[in-house]
Formats: sequence, C-alpha cells, structure tokens
Amino acid sequence: MYKTDIRGKLVDGDKSLTQISQDILAPIDAKTPTWWYIAMAVSLMMFAWGARSIYVTLTVGIGAWGQNNTVAWGWEIINFVWWIGIGHAGTAFSIFLLILRQKWRSSINRAAEAMTVAAVICAALFPLIHMGRSWLFFWVFPYPNTRGPLWVNFNSPLFWDFVAVSTYLLISASFWYFGMVPDFATIRDTTKSKIKRAVYGFFAFGWTGSSREWLRYEGLAFVLGGIAAVLVVSVHSIVSTDFAAGIEPGWHSTIFPPFFVVGAIFSGFAMVLTLVTLMKKLYKMDDFITANHVDAVCRILVFISLIMGTAYITEIFIAWYSGSEFEFFTFFRNRITGEYAPEFWFMFIFNALLPQLFWSKKIRHNIWIVFAISICINIGMWLERYIIIVTSLTKDFLPASWAEYHPTLVEIGFYVGTIGMFSAAVLLFFKYIPQIAIHEVKMISKYNTQQFDHLKPGHHDYE
Amino acid sequence: MNDKYLVGVFDDEHTLVDAFEKALEKGVVIEEVYTPYPIHEILQGMKTRTHITHAAFFYGLFGVIMLHGGMYYAAVLSWPMQFGGKPSNTFPSFIVVAIVGTILSITLLTLLTFSVRSKIYPGRKADIIDIRATDDKFIILLNQENMGIEKDTIIKLFQTNGASEVYEKDANTTDKQLSNEL
Repeated sequence: MYKTDIRGKLVDGDKSLTQISQDILAPIDAKTPTWWYIAMAVSLMMFAWGARSIYVTLTVGIGAWGQNNTVAWGWEIINFVWWIGIGHAGTAFSIFLLILRQKWRSSINRAAEAMTVAAVICAALFPLIHMGRSWLFFWVFPYPNTRGPLWVNFNSPLFWDFVAVSTYLLISASFWYFGMVPDFATIRDTTKSKIKRAVYGFFAFGWTGSSREWLRYEGLAFVLGGIAAVLVVSVHSIVSTDFAAGIEPGWHSTIFPPFFVVGAIFSGFAMVLTLVTLMKKLYKMDDFITANHVDAVCRILVFISLIMGTAYITEIFIAWYSGSEFEFFTFFRNRITGEYAPEFWFMFIFNALLPQLFWSKKIRHNIWIVFAISICINIGMWLERYIIIVTSLTKDFLPASWAEYHPTLVEIGFYVGTIGMFSAAVLLFFKYIPQIAIHEVKMISKYNTQQFDHLKPGHHDYE
Repeated sequence: MNDKYLVGVFDDEHTLVDAFEKALEKGVVIEEVYTPYPIHEILQGMKTRTHITHAAFFYGLFGVIMLHGGMYYAAVLSWPMQFGGKPSNTFPSFIVVAIVGTILSITLLTLLTFSVRSKIYPGRKADIIDIRATDDKFIILLNQENMGIEKDTIIKLFQTNGASEVYEKDANTTDKQLSNEL
C-alpha cells in the first residue's frame, strides 16, 4: 500500500477525474508554442545531416568512416550501445517498478516508454548501416533461401543481438501502444474537434472501458510485464556478449552482462530524468510529476551510480589481480593513464561521483541541477562505451597492429542525425500523445483523498 | 443492440462498488460495467473470467518447441557446418535465441488473443453507452429484458446508493433522463 504521509502525494492539486483528463490533454488541444517549432526545426536539420551521412555511407561504402583493420568498430557500435542503453529505461520503468509496486511510476512510464521506442529505432539504424550492403539486411533472418540453404549462425552473439533488439523494439512498441488505447478513447470521448475524434477514435480500436475489456487488459499487462522483465535483462546481457565473447583485453570479462544491464538502466533513467524535467518546465506538469517523483528517480540513480563505481573499480582490480599483462596494460596504461585518460576520468566522475550529489535533498529538489546532472550522466555513459571500444581495439596484443581511430565527419553526422531523429520523435510525442497515462493516474489519484479511508482494506492494493 | 437498457451513473469508485455489491446481493443481473480505470471488485463481481495468462503459457511452450526444433533442423539436418570439430547441435547456445524468441511469440500471440477476445482492433467502432465513461463517470448497464428483479426496485436501489443519474436508453437513440422525472 502506498503511504502518502511518508512518500508525499502522488498527484497534487486535489484534482477530480475530469480535471486529470483535461490537464494531461491540455498540450494536445492548446496552440503549439513557438519553442516547439524552433526545436522541431533544429531537430529536423540535425536529422537532415544524418540522412545525408547515411546517403554518403551507402553510396561510398564504409570507407567513408574512420574505421580501419585494427579498429573495425568505432562510433557506430558506441552509439548503438548508447541508444540501446537509453532505450532500457522505458521497460525498466514500466516493468520493474510495476513488479515492485511503485505507484509513482504511473505519471512517468508513458514518457519513458515513448523514449524507449524512439531510442531503439535510433540504435537499430547503426548495425543496419554498418552491414555495408544494408539492402541485403534480410539475410540476417533465418529463412529457407536459395543460398544453399545457408542458415545464420545461431551461436553468434551478433545474431543474438539482432533477435534481441528486434524483439525488444516490437515488445516495447506494443506495450507502449496498448497502454495508450484507453487514453485515446478518453480523447475520442472528450474532444470537441471532429477530426481529432475520428483520428484518435481510430487509434482507440473501439475501446469503451467495459469490465470485459479491463479484465483482459489487466491480464495482458500482467503477461507482457512479466516477460518483458526477462527481456530487459536479456537484451543488454546479449549486447554485452558482443564484447565479452571476444578475446580483446578489457572485453573478455564475466562482469560484462550485469555491468551492461546496470549501465543501461543507469543511462535510461538519466534520460527519463532529462525528459520529465522538460515536461515539468515546458508543459507545467508539476501536479503530476511532483518534486517527489524527481526525488525518487534521483535516489535510484544514487544507488545505480554506486553499482557503476563498484564495477569500474572491480574491473581495474581484476586487471591487476588476474596477472594478465594485456589486461593490466589496457586498464593501467591505456585507460586510467595514457592518451585516453581524460575520457576515462570524465566517465568516472560523471557516472560514479557526480550522481553522489543526489544524497543531498537540496540538490534533488533543485530542478536545474538535476537536469544538468542527468545530461552529465548521459555524456558519461557515452564515454563509457567509447572507453570500452576504442581503448581495447586501438592497442591490443600485437603492437605492430596498433592503430589510431578518429571519427570522420560522416560518422559524426550520422550520430547527430539520430539525436535529431530522437528529439523530433519526442517533440511529436509531446504534441500528439497524452504524455502521462491518464487512466493510471486516475487509478492512483484515490490514494490522495479521504475517500480512500472508507474503502475496504486489502481489496484496493492492486497494480 | 436493439434492446432497451437501464443505465446507472456513479461519480466515484466507492459509491459504484457499494451499489454494485448491493445490487448483486439482491440478485440483479448486471449486463456490463463501464469505468475509466480497472476496478478489481467489479472485475471479480462480474464473474467473467479470462484465461489469457494460461494461453500465454501455452504460447510460450509452443515457442520453445518451435524455436529449438527450427534451430536443430537448420544447424543439424539441413546444413550442418564444420567448425573446429564442434558438434553441429550446439544446444546450450541455442538457449539464448530460444529465450528471446519465446518472449516474442508469447507477446505477439497474447496480443492477438487480447485483440480477438476483447474485440479491440483497428477500425472497430466503439459501442458507447455513455460517453463520459472514459472520462470521469462509472456506469452500470442493465438489460431490461433480463434484470433479475423489478425495474423500480433497481432504480430505488441505485438512487439510495449514490447514483448521480439513472436513465433508460434504447440502443441507437438519445438518452432519456429518468432521474429528473422520478
């Protein structure tokens, strides 16, 4: 049961049910603010640069990038892992907090899931383009073919990755969509615009809110929630085996799966924090996303940040303790010292030390500092992938094959393009989709009121 | 939907649940309840049960068998590959794809089941009884052909238990306010 006196109110402002609908739907009906158009224009320009970079890559080939024989994986795999990590927040929010019965998730999970879908699409672009002949990507599917039939290698982490990422995209998208169906019905039934009624009515799939629908809806949420929890853990574990199954120093490590899963949830929660602070400030959703919500995410980040710090230190310790000179070289000569030391220490500070400021309640309640730290964590997590990939590959076993790696403008453009795509998707989400799950907030709003005292104990402790 | 309906409108969850439970005690046959969010007393009281979770289990079982069978066929029977003298049937490493593939088959098939059984699919026109049910009202719908007890008794029962409105409704006609007349 949610204890309001300990954790604060879930919804401020003593809103009636219809007020909740109106407040959450306000941005959909309101005139689009000027900043939205400016932000959209900037996002589309970034996206256009990305599209041009993809065009150059497809026509010229992978030679347009900075990769070489030694460093065959560069920014693309860094960005792929980074986006997938960010994409973990949506499902982590929805599922883990659902399982842990954290009712405050209800006002944030919609945004987190939307972000997941956008981030996973951005992520999927990188391996797709990195294939070189992207138009033959369907060869990855194991289907009866005329090439033998030549099947895919079911033992390859790269194939596991393909299965995991495409499954993750499908499941998070359907979880997100079916969560929105009752809210689309609310828009259909409350809007005055005929066009909106028709459009949202179509997307509401004929939802009426009958007990038969809710019964199966709950069953569906239970099933999807339960299995998606397994998926969250398995997807990033699989991504980590892309590295851990290789023998490069700094990669060949059993710590990788939990390290990657925790890191993914860390960066995802940081991105959620970025988004909810924007929603609070730009759309005045303060009554739904209260200081307590931000506070709760910050406290989770403190905890995860400690795990990250422990993982970094464990890796360094094992590099020394294992007695492997290659591991020792990678960590002591090429990460904590050496030419990549600045990146390493920025990563360490941003991920392991800076979030420790969240121990202070004053900082957790200062929205601007929270926003700044969330951005720093996202940069830190990008640097983590940079460190893992570039330091290990540039200087591996044989000094004769050492090489440098610098991204070309095409690679940078590709990355910037996905950021533009992501922000454009988020802006569209802000404008056309209820940012907060209306029916879920209605369900938890009763915990604020005196009426809750009259309800029979034991029966209402669902979700 | 050519039947005549009696509609009870409630303003909040606990008056709805009280009225719902009292009506069930009196032997009223309730056609359907429409609410803005799921209410467990109602879902339990309506007696409809769902087997979607059991179905999901069997979808999973189906997925596991199909995936392992498919991988065994591809890697061992159809085109066995030689790599370093290792066996073609690399079973433990099939598990990774099997887990994720099973999750995929459970999700897609359960979604399909939900869509078919609840009749929630693209292009379906909603049978809206009271348009406020997705916003802030809680609606109990009775079919006048089969209500279990006298109509007047039910109307009185609803009103004494906090119904904000009670009205009759023909399918496809405008709402007729009863509570104002009574």
